[in-house]
Amino acid sequence: MERLSIQGLCKNFGGVKAVDSFRCVIPDKGIHSIIGPNGAGKTTIFNLITGVYKPDDGRITFDGVDITGKQPHVIARDGIARTFQNIRLFPEFSALDNIKTACHLRSNYSVLEGFVPSPRRGRQERDIHDHAMELVKTVGLEDRALEMARNLPYGHQRRLEIARALALKPKLLLLDEPAAGMNPDETRKLMDFITEIKERFELTILLIEHHMELVMELCDYITVIDFGKVIAEGTPAEVQANPVVIEAYLGAGA
Amino acid sequence: MSGYVQGLISLSCINLIAVLGLSLLTGFTGSFCFGQAGFLAIGAYVSALMTVKLHMPFAVSLLSGMLASGVVAFLLGFPTLKLKGDYFAIATLGFAEAIRLLIENLEKVTGGSRGVPSIPNETHLIALVPITLILVWVMRNYISSRHGRNCIAVREDEIAAHAIAVNVFRYKQISFFVNGMLAGLSGGFLAHYVGFIQPSMFGIQKSTELIVMVIFGGMHSITGALLSAIVLTSLPEVLRAAAAWRLVVYGTAVVFIMVVRPEGLLGSWELSVASVRSLCSDTKSLISKCYKKVFHGAA
Amino acid sequence: MFWQEIINGISIGGVYALMAVGYSLVYSVLNFSNFAHGEVLMVGAYAGFYGLTALHLPFSLALGLSIIVGGLVAILLEKIGYRPLRMRNAPTLYLMISAMGLSIFLQNFVMVTIGPNFRNYPEVFAFDPIEFGSLVIGSLDLVIFIITILSLAVLTWFIYGTRLGMAIQAAAYNMRTATLMGINPDLVVMIVFAMAGSSAGIAGVMFGMKYTVYPWMGNITIKAFIAAVVGGLGSLPGAVVGAFLLGITETLAAAFVSSAFRDLFSFALMILIIIVRPSGLMGVIAKEKA
Repeated sequence: MERLSIQGLCKNFGGVKAVDSFRCVIPDKGIHSIIGPNGAGKTTIFNLITGVYKPDDGRITFDGVDITGKQPHVIARDGIARTFQNIRLFPEFSALDNIKTACHLRSNYSVLEGFVPSPRRGRQERDIHDHAMELVKTVGLEDRALEMARNLPYGHQRRLEIARALALKPKLLLLDEPAAGMNPDETRKLMDFITEIKERFELTILLIEHHMELVMELCDYITVIDFGKVIAEGTPAEVQANPVVIEAYLGAGA
Repeated sequence: MSGYVQGLISLSCINLIAVLGLSLLTGFTGSFCFGQAGFLAIGAYVSALMTVKLHMPFAVSLLSGMLASGVVAFLLGFPTLKLKGDYFAIATLGFAEAIRLLIENLEKVTGGSRGVPSIPNETHLIALVPITLILVWVMRNYISSRHGRNCIAVREDEIAAHAIAVNVFRYKQISFFVNGMLAGLSGGFLAHYVGFIQPSMFGIQKSTELIVMVIFGGMHSITGALLSAIVLTSLPEVLRAAAAWRLVVYGTAVVFIMVVRPEGLLGSWELSVASVRSLCSDTKSLISKCYKKVFHGAA
Repeated sequence: MFWQEIINGISIGGVYALMAVGYSLVYSVLNFSNFAHGEVLMVGAYAGFYGLTALHLPFSLALGLSIIVGGLVAILLEKIGYRPLRMRNAPTLYLMISAMGLSIFLQNFVMVTIGPNFRNYPEVFAFDPIEFGSLVIGSLDLVIFIITILSLAVLTWFIYGTRLGMAIQAAAYNMRTATLMGINPDLVVMIVFAMAGSSAGIAGVMFGMKYTVYPWMGNITIKAFIAAVVGGLGSLPGAVVGAFLLGITETLAAAFVSSAFRDLFSFALMILIIIVRPSGLMGVIAKEKA
């Protein structure tokens, strides 16, 4: 079953073709990666999938539904969650509140009940609190749950951002360079973590990464892009052996 | 209670109602509204004219003013709320000035720059104070609800808010509408307290005063808004002699707060049972630490 | 009659353009609205006024004084009210509020110290108006127009024709990258504020000459904001185009509807542009990178 299908995706920024006929098909429960040199257009593709940018051409289909050009909050509500290259937490909120905010989809009490509380609101808030605490424990942040997000160390912030994305109960999780700035030990822990949450939450994962050992070990399938175009795709073994890829990118290694 | 103190309480409550709305819109949702005076004016004029010209009972006039202002805010939101922060600030500033100009020029209806005189005094503490307190309670509830959290998310990072399925535009719209209604209510009370209204009362200075109140007490705290409304309304009355210098001090205070402590006096601290308890225990442990240091450290 | 109004509109449009360019310059480099811009204009107007009346300077030196004072005051405001916030990467909201605070401070400080009275510039240019058939161009309007055009020309030359100007353009495009290229960001910011302040100072003198000088005359800069929004926030040519467009259309509106309608029309124009073409006539709304 296809989770995500992208065909002929194009995006121009004033004459520069940031994304050129990008294509990709991700099956349910797969881990797929997009790799490529810096500036190749990877984050732009994420932004196109999540609706931050509107594509100039092409189609994005999620679970059989055409989501091309839909609004970002609608796409998030329908099951695609993401993290950001430059970590976008809510700095004034505690770690717990960051996750609680993302849990709003679990509840449905109205704006009016926001102003004047009802029993239903009380129940749903308790449920949100419990669920958020569970997620905090999942990422190992119980001790620091009430700390301001901006005061957390870098590694914790990355984990918190993932936990917040999980609060949306997504079917597809987009991770934008989750291992950025991590040493080999931390990267290994992250890899185990990704494998664990994928099993536990039955996720399909799309990953942008530069840490090659993470990509090669975790992913089922890789799409390589350069200058916005797909230059190769295949299993990790196929991609590693592909001379085009080696020439464009892998020569530098990681 | 002397008439003087009663007056201070009345004015504080009237200002507080407007500040509550602005706190929601600018403090918690992050949309810098520089045109609060415009909504006050709508509320004041609609309610005053209903009482004076149409002889409506006070409650009807008040509600009409509130609704009129809310509806205008709702409509104004469509073109303006999608704009980036600066544009929105300028647009609301322009809106307030446009309202003031309209009022000045529709002389037959509004009395032009001379204004509407002889508005009966209907703003009695017995109604005003409970209403104000209820509104404070209501706003506290909203902020602590999932909708309040979503507003704060919009303020903190719109793109991240979108990514967690928050409909940014809709939440800005709600805050803008509620602010419009509260400002309209405040204007209605003001008109029926002061007894007359003129367009000059609803200029940039008024908008500025209200923004300063939001900043001073904490853009992230309803308790702070309450505190600053009371302090900043009472202080100038107490220091009436130095009226012009008061604004010089205001301006300096605003810059000072932004540079030194932009969270304002209270930051995100809210008065609640839990926060008072933790304040007491923090104080207790601080005192015991000092005690130990003084009496045992020397030994 | 119509063409006479066009000429009046061009005259006021030139002054708006000078204000709008200064404001847009700061916006394009620092991405925030300097709400204290009007007060720099006001200080410049007072400086020119005292230069002429108290120091008995010839007009050119009085104008020079306002240029210097405007530039210095702008730099000072930046150091006190904006730099500490920029250093902390404070959100733009805080910068705007700080600007508002500076504005309140300056307006009221002048009001308390110098006094709220309106001051009139002495008549400096008293030669006969120029006539083209039925059209009349007053001597003052002509001088104002020439000075504003000259000032805009100097600004244009500086920004597009010098290395320092190129550094400013680079910083306006992307401050971080410009810094990596060896451009000193503090210097750029200082120069940008100096330029904005100086042009505001000149505009202040022009306004003072044409109308009067008073502590809250800075409120006229809302026209600069409108002009910049109409032309496209962040675009310098847009600011000029927007300003002349605003000046001409609002003068026509004032002439053919009513003078009270003038300001109302400017706001209506702004709302119209915001609804129909939010990026302004010549601007581009840069999307925040996710």
